Amino acid sequence: MATTAPSSDSATTSAPPGNGLLVLLAAMTPEQFEQVFASLTASFPAEDLLIASPNAISADAHSSLRIVSAPANNPAWTLTAADFANAGQLAEKNEARAILMLGPESGSLGPPALRELANAVLSTTDLAVPCYDLPPHAGLVNSAILYPLTRALFASRVRFPLADALGLSLRMAKCMADAARRFTAINQGERPLWPVNEATVAGFAIEQFDVGACVQPAGPDLNTILPLVAGSLFSDIKAKAAFWQRFRPLPPADNFTLMPLAPSADAVVDITLMLSAFQLAYSNLHEIWSLVLPPNSLLGLKRLSTTDAAAFHMPEDLWARIVYDFLLAYRLRTINRGHLLGALIPLYLAWVASHINITASGTDPERHIEAVAAAFEADKTYIVSRWRWPDRFNP
Amino acid sequence: MQNILAVMLQTSINQTSPPLPADNASIWHHMADALHQSFDRILSLLIAILPGILAFLVSLAVFSLIGIALSALLHRGLTAAKLDEHLAHGRGNSDWMPSTSPTALIARASFWACVLLGLIIGVSAFDASFSTATALPSLFLTYLTRVAEAAVLLIAGTLVARFLARSVLIGAVNEQLQYARFLSLGIKWLVLVLTAAMVLDHLQMGGHVVELAFGILFGGIVLTLALAVGLGSRDLVSRSLEKHSGHSGEYSAAPPATPTSGSGDSIRHF
Repeated sequence: MATTAPSSDSATTSAPPGNGLLVLLAAMTPEQFEQVFASLTASFPAEDLLIASPNAISADAHSSLRIVSAPANNPAWTLTAADFANAGQLAEKNEARAILMLGPESGSLGPPALRELANAVLSTTDLAVPCYDLPPHAGLVNSAILYPLTRALFASRVRFPLADALGLSLRMAKCMADAARRFTAINQGERPLWPVNEATVAGFAIEQFDVGACVQPAGPDLNTILPLVAGSLFSDIKAKAAFWQRFRPLPPADNFTLMPLAPSADAVVDITLMLSAFQLAYSNLHEIWSLVLPPNSLLGLKRLSTTDAAAFHMPEDLWARIVYDFLLAYRLRTINRGHLLGALIPLYLAWVASHINITASGTDPERHIEAVAAAFEADKTYIVSRWRWPDRFNP
Repeated sequence: MQNILAVMLQTSINQTSPPLPADNASIWHHMADALHQSFDRILSLLIAILPGILAFLVSLAVFSLIGIALSALLHRGLTAAKLDEHLAHGRGNSDWMPSTSPTALIARASFWACVLLGLIIGVSAFDASFSTATALPSLFLTYLTRVAEAAVLLIAGTLVARFLARSVLIGAVNEQLQYARFLSLGIKWLVLVLTAAMVLDHLQMGGHVVELAFGILFGGIVLTLALAVGLGSRDLVSRSLEKHSGHSGEYSAAPPATPTSGSGDSIRHF
């Protein structure tokens, strides 16, 4: 089968499409690629589409589309710094007005969702972010760490700061490309970036859209990905400390409300393995945790380690305090950063077990996640204070 | 008590043998001569050492003072030139701690460089003052250098052992290995035994005994760990083998031992 532009130079310039939208696809498998293509062709007229992709594309099947090749990146489970660097470069070369970046699992987004994201960045919004309708026990790293931290520190209500699909205005794309070049220059192009944080610091307009259910990335290993994601977010927070230490009010939630999550068949989950992981870690990693956590948090963990599965509940303020103390230890390099983020994994599993217990008791998962985010907000004074005076007495 | 013993000895000598005044005088004379000579040698050695020690101390003090002055000068100059702010602007990160800002680091490095220079010059002066003396001090200096190197080796080995022990402990806990602490301790002692053997070898102490003991200890620890891991992770290995035989060639493997749930993939962390 013939292909178009797979080997052509990435510097090839194509005339901008009618509406100035450039769609940049991340590296993906052929099945994912076909799925994304089907969604795109159903969403936009062919003459409005300028697609940049590192994949080999069949010319027979997509002869009506204008396609340019993008530099090939290593396949990743989310959008990476290298993707953002390519987006900025391609947008400039093709004189695009806005960019739609689609990750490997974007094929599950329906045409209305893609249209909404694109139309937002073609009008006044700088960053359009999808809000997924996930099952109750999905996207837990996002719910436990990414969303509450982003909301508390950057005063943003974006529910999925590490989304797989994004709409960017041209100036937002340039801003992200600048941030990405810092990592690509030192051969760290596979790191995730934090567009919500960048947009908030730059004062750009952010909007999120309900895009319905989404297929989640398959099989990322928690022990590898959690340190990567948490480390990347901690590093970004550290770099933007001057911004978030000032008080900023959280925008009202009226303009966007999350859809209530439908109860699913997997609502009841056995948490025994997660609890045994936490208990094993408590008996082995106590010495390392005591370097990072204050005595009060250690006492809370001690109580949790002796609690049985049915009554297991990690208080929201304890979890917020733990994450803040790990963030602080990351900044101060109290222990090696790889060790620090590795030691966070069992604590995260304890939070997951607690979250599952709470949702099993009939509480709406979204309500619990909001309570966690509220605890992070309420404790923001703690992290600001300790960030400025880390050596002060901390019981 | 000593006086009583001396009196008793004198009386017993007087009773048993006749006095030999000439021989006694000769012995005492020889002993006094020997003592005088050794005392002279110690004095001359001290006289030879003292200028060296003085030179060492003066050199260290002078260079430390120069270091303090240079450090203060650099700190003031770099603060006036706003080096921290320029670097923070270029790096996009203004989050310097006061103790780790580039200005403070440069000032501190210059001070310690001066102190190090003073030490080197002081030791050279000490060595030079000794070169005219006996061969013993130069041997002593060479051995002192070896001791310093061995100390550095010991510190580095201890740090590496601690780092590896922590890495293994955290990794093993996250892999749900019940013997995580045992494994971590085993790794720590492996590295410590290796370090101890290297240090003793560097100090040229023990000879073949150290090599032999090291071989036995190292082999013993490795064998113990292998047995413990082999017996303790039979289930893990068999699960891993089953998984690989069932899913060979797929894009990415599922987490090997990350606890998710008892009901398959209903928990998605991402």
